[in-house]
Amino acid sequence: MALFITKRLLMALATVLVVAVLAFLLVHAMPGSPGAVSLGAGASQEAIDEVNQRLGWNDPLVTQFITWLGSAVQGDLGVSLIDGRSVSADLASRLPVTASLAAGATLLSAVLGIALGVTAAVRGGLLDQAIGGFVGLLVALPAFWVGVIFVYLFAVQSSLFPATGYVPFEVSPQDWMLSLALPVITLAVGGAAFIARQTRASMLEALQQEHIRTLRATATPTWKILYVHALRYASLPIVAGIALQFIGLFGGSVIAEQLFAMPGLGQAVQSSVSTHDAPAVQGVVVIATVVVVAVNLVLELATKFLDPKLRAS
Amino acid sequence: MIPTVAPAPADADQTGSTTAAGAPAPGAGRAALARFSRHRLFSSPGAVAGLFWLAVLVVASLTAPLWLPFKTEDQDFTAVLSGPTPAHWLGTDELGRDILSRIFAAAAGTLGTSLITVIVGVGLGTILAMLAAGAGERTEAVISRVTEIMMSLPGTVIILAVIGAVGTNIPVVMAILGILMSAGIYRVILGQAKSLQSQLYVDAAKVDGTSPLGISLRHVLPGLANTIVVQAALIFAVGMLIQAGLAFIGFGPPIPQPSWGGMIQGASQHVYDAPWMMVPTGAVLALTVLSANAIGNALGKAPNAPAPHLPSAAARRQRAKAVAAIAAAPGLPGGDAAKGTLSVRNLSVGVDSTGTGNGVRLVTDVSFDVQPGTVLGLVGESGCGKTMTALSLLGLLPSGVSVTGGQILWNGRNLGATTEKDMEAVRGREIALISQEPMRALDPMFTIGYQLTATIRRLRGMGKAEARAEALNLLEKVGIVDAARILKTYPHQISGGMAQRVAIALALSGRPKLLVADEPTTALDVTVQAEILSLLRTLVKDTGMSVVMVTHDLGVVADICDHVAVMYAGQVVENGKTAAILDNPRHPYTLALLAADPHANHAENMPERLATINGQVPQPKDWPTGCRFAARCQFAGSACLEPVPLLPSGAGEGLVRCVKADQLAVEGMDWLATDIPAARRLEVTPKQDHIVEKDLA
Repeated sequence: MALFITKRLLMALATVLVVAVLAFLLVHAMPGSPGAVSLGAGASQEAIDEVNQRLGWNDPLVTQFITWLGSAVQGDLGVSLIDGRSVSADLASRLPVTASLAAGATLLSAVLGIALGVTAAVRGGLLDQAIGGFVGLLVALPAFWVGVIFVYLFAVQSSLFPATGYVPFEVSPQDWMLSLALPVITLAVGGAAFIARQTRASMLEALQQEHIRTLRATATPTWKILYVHALRYASLPIVAGIALQFIGLFGGSVIAEQLFAMPGLGQAVQSSVSTHDAPAVQGVVVIATVVVVAVNLVLELATKFLDPKLRAS
Repeated sequence: MIPTVAPAPADADQTGSTTAAGAPAPGAGRAALARFSRHRLFSSPGAVAGLFWLAVLVVASLTAPLWLPFKTEDQDFTAVLSGPTPAHWLGTDELGRDILSRIFAAAAGTLGTSLITVIVGVGLGTILAMLAAGAGERTEAVISRVTEIMMSLPGTVIILAVIGAVGTNIPVVMAILGILMSAGIYRVILGQAKSLQSQLYVDAAKVDGTSPLGISLRHVLPGLANTIVVQAALIFAVGMLIQAGLAFIGFGPPIPQPSWGGMIQGASQHVYDAPWMMVPTGAVLALTVLSANAIGNALGKAPNAPAPHLPSAAARRQRAKAVAAIAAAPGLPGGDAAKGTLSVRNLSVGVDSTGTGNGVRLVTDVSFDVQPGTVLGLVGESGCGKTMTALSLLGLLPSGVSVTGGQILWNGRNLGATTEKDMEAVRGREIALISQEPMRALDPMFTIGYQLTATIRRLRGMGKAEARAEALNLLEKVGIVDAARILKTYPHQISGGMAQRVAIALALSGRPKLLVADEPTTALDVTVQAEILSLLRTLVKDTGMSVVMVTHDLGVVADICDHVAVMYAGQVVENGKTAAILDNPRHPYTLALLAADPHANHAENMPERLATINGQVPQPKDWPTGCRFAARCQFAGSACLEPVPLLPSGAGEGLVRCVKADQLAVEGMDWLATDIPAARRLEVTPKQDHIVEKDLA
């Protein structure tokens, strides 16, 4: 187990490093030098060169990367070319927004998805077909379109929820919840459908296992076979599916943040990519990767812990 | 042991591949490519509708300039933000542009660029999978690691960074999206590619000197065709969604050019004053994604998913209805109600004809009796209905299979017409089951201690401590020395023989009167087999319970059974006392089984070659009206084409189902070890193209 955890940690580290290199190279392929981007149109070539010189833009790529990595490890991701603010500080203020969004959406997807999937597998018949059709529809609906419809229904027609904006938890927990409601539901629609499919398939596979027959042969009550034994067996792939979903939702928050004007990481990627703000793009890619890889690692370890075979070894 | 004439393939591939397991020759792969589950595609209404919609969309968008009522840039300032009108069927946007025209003008670009993701993603994923499957473990490990890393990346964020570098060059962005998605496709395809690589005909091709590339292209790729198409359809849908999403956040085609995502973005700006605007574009996008998904799902549907061991609630309701109908029907008079007597009368088991079932009979007109303290053997090849018969005794037939007639009288009560709820009182407490694969019969997620004590508490109403003591006691009774340690282990931590002892202890925990043992020693090695048999013999002697022992091993029959019923193609063909049947078999099938058994022949008169039985057990749907064994029988004649009743064999209370039994007994004929002489062969064409069957359970 210790060996397994070490291996996974190393792999997570490698993943982040690979992405850091990738982000670095992508940022260098962006049109326009940092000087040109930060000074804007109409700046003199000398002024641009001066800024580039100061930022080390003309150093060899390897040197630049090592310098960046050195300060990144210490928590300094550089300074935005557009507004001169610290990228780390900016992302630190944005991370909670996206984290609450992604975590909330994952949680809601998991609850709804497992409920739907288990019901479909256990009840069978017409209900299974109905849930299957419903879930198939949800998978096909574009999240941003669903979001617009929700805005129309719940913010325009009835002002149950605020249409846009984000209220930090520290300001008002209740408003925080309300401001998250629509974006979280929007993201969870597709996520729940995905997890429902995964859950249904895993439950059916669990019920095909021969030990289910042994349980029936020893007069185990049906509820116990379903919700203790089969669900326990199905839990491994379901948790793996949830981990995968979190990755998707974390990325998907770009759309929700745009639609609901939430000041999160997604909005930062979107705006820094539009303005060619190299340090900001690089920083947000790395931070997003770190978060996703870390959560993934935790869920993967949880999966392994659920499996007696791996726990024992 | 009964020789399997045509060895049944190991139950290797359940993953829904249509060709991996069944393909007998390289050419079959090619044929599979040609007819890749077309019937599955066209039997799904959703998929047909999806194909139709995609076709309409492609044709309409390619011919758009010819028929569109407006140019995409035409602005009608008299009808800004209008709903559907005769002039603008789907309304107009904030600049008065016709939405219908813009949707169809944008379709070709959306579909085309999504296709780039499909080609790059599925192509790369497939190549990687074939490479990993063909090039050995080390390469596979490297590729798998890399794809694992790719899958744990925040893809959307990376795509946005790529857009930062290359600009909104949609074809390039979609290609890079394809690269990111290839990791998931690789994962899906790898397992199947590996199973295809391990096929015997691939080994043969390797020996013949076919290059690895040749093998991949000629033998592996065709088998992957269906999976590749399924993945392509699903990725196509995802590609469209992501592309529209990017356009929605402002990374779509340059401004005046219409795109679905961009149009929905525009609509979202007017959700307050013109909510209609978001409806048509979103609906078209959703419908298109739905179509691609429907096609993918229809093709990807596993053709023969194994039945669940616990039927769904809907299936249980249906079965309860059937049981009620049987119970309501005027039954045959109940048998003698002696305690602990099982008497099966004219039992028939069949596939349900409702739903997807075809109503095929699996077991017909089976009768036998088991007295307390005796062991009955059910013998026959795989596919003869032994296991179905055994499972019906506990009401544990697989989903979609049920008792269709006859009676299972236990203590005089018909278990075939007993509700699920009442069966729960019988299972474990009166009739218990042990099965073939002890490892699979135990729940891998719980300790043996938990499984055993929970069962004892439930069946015997004991407290926790008492149940634990009883569990230790039972484990010792089945011959486990360090019972306390075994209680703490998980099933995967013990050996097969040990697991079978645990399974027997589990079966004994409710103190059953009848034990149904479905090939309990088949999966074990020879020395362990003997130990388990001797354990069962001791248990019968000590507890006085009776046993129904399903086996294909005549050695097991000789060893432990008091009575034996030989089954062939869903019927009992001969039954009686074990000694009588082994010494003096009457049915040609029994004769053949004995002639083919190396253990039944003594060393001094061991023949030069053992007898074989030509052909194989016919599939239930192919059972003839006459003698079901006739097509393989050395003695068959024209009389065998008529239905054959089960008649007294003349040996004790034994019965035999053969019109020639008396003649054979008088003439003292033996089953010959040679091929069937042409003169003695009946003109019944045996099916040569059978898919080799496996036991239905």
